[in-house]
Amino acid sequence: MTPRRRNRLTITAVAVILGFLVVAQLRGQVADASLAQQSAQDLTLLVANLNTQNEELRGEVATLEQQLTSLSDTHARGNSAAGQLRADLDRIQGWAGLRAVNGPGISIRVAGQIGGDGVEDLLNELRNAGAEAISVGGVRVVPGTVVAGAAGALFVESTVLGGTFEIRAIGSPQILTGSLTRAGGIVAQLSVTFPRAQVSVTPLDSVAIPATDRDLAPVNGRPSL
Amino acid sequence: MTAIARRLRAVPSWQVTLSVALLVLGFLIAAQLSAEGPRVRYTSQERVPLVETVIGLQSQQNALKDRILALRAQIRDLEAQMPGSAAEERALNGQLEKARIASGLAQLAGPGLLFKLEDADGAVGNDKTESLVTSRDVRVLVQELWLAGAEAISVNGERIATTTAILDIGNSILVNNAYLAPPYQISAIGPTDLYRRISSSKAFVAYVSSRLEPSGIKLSFAELETVTVPAFAGTVAGRYIRPTVPSQ
Repeated sequence: MTPRRRNRLTITAVAVILGFLVVAQLRGQVADASLAQQSAQDLTLLVANLNTQNEELRGEVATLEQQLTSLSDTHARGNSAAGQLRADLDRIQGWAGLRAVNGPGISIRVAGQIGGDGVEDLLNELRNAGAEAISVGGVRVVPGTVVAGAAGALFVESTVLGGTFEIRAIGSPQILTGSLTRAGGIVAQLSVTFPRAQVSVTPLDSVAIPATDRDLAPVNGRPSL
Repeated sequence: MTAIARRLRAVPSWQVTLSVALLVLGFLIAAQLSAEGPRVRYTSQERVPLVETVIGLQSQQNALKDRILALRAQIRDLEAQMPGSAAEERALNGQLEKARIASGLAQLAGPGLLFKLEDADGAVGNDKTESLVTSRDVRVLVQELWLAGAEAISVNGERIATTTAILDIGNSILVNNAYLAPPYQISAIGPTDLYRRISSSKAFVAYVSSRLEPSGIKLSFAELETVTVPAFAGTVAGRYIRPTVPSQ
């Protein structure tokens, strides 16, 4: 290698490290500066949220590690893994909305004049409270599903929602009900924003939610690593 | 003086460039190291431990997400090379791969749009909070992108999945319970005319004119041939849902 070429390579390597550090530094500063502006109350709430989320992520890691160990054993023994593949498929398809599911949860009856933004706020709160599957007017909510329209003219995908419709959610009935109906919660907020709407929540031992009718396979996007 | 100038002129230009670059490098390394903890100490006393706790928990969260993605990749690879390879197993593997792609468990790349939402430069009117981007602003933009035909969306790298909630936390937001600071970059993959579609939506136009313009919140966009939307790195294990009809 000629000295000239070596010099160029050295400068290139330094420039790459430099660029990486500049980006890392700028990103770090944005996040930390934003945290420093939060109130003690918000930071406490954030700590609680992060703790809960990290606990769930640890649970997911444990599940995946167990699955990997089990698959490795099956692989080593040369046995069929069909049973394990089916269990994995059930789990992913059920979560993704590709399969009909059931379980404990709640039924929410919505009547009167409410806008699509109000229903979307309600769905967001359900997800925050840990709902694992949701349907609106019998339509499974998946990525891409939006309840839109003005009060009295709501629609979800190709389904028109009438003056009264039902939202179903699977999850802990107590937690879901408590989150929605607590003082200052989303039901109370909606009663102020949409005074001509009525929202009632009923906990249930078993709720059935259909699979989505949508084709979720991407047309424009392709898997990339 | 002339001797020093002569010696300086004799130094090769690449050495000068390298010296300046190394100087900046040293500065940045020092800044990066000092940023690991003490930088947050300028906040009030009671918040210092809280900010440090949050930073520690975020770091744990990132490590857990990396671990989840790595485990999913290992499982996918192992499932694909299971022995026996009966037709049934091959079919199940094919279904699993499709389900992972459809559900957001795989990173996607394709044509699309990048939107950037930024807080207004200064307070507008009497209510400063009006000039800050809220979770609702992000949700509206995400919903409008879905309605315009987007097929995969992320916010600051957090994939929008079926269980994703977008919430306010102080002046910032939580997506998938990950703390995100403004500005918010919303990446969407969709048809090549995604921008034309969203900009012709009455609801989107009304949102820009009634919410963003009066508040001074900045919205910019870029149409790209390739947008990358990362995989969802959260939990898929449902505690309550069961398939109505399990796989046979």
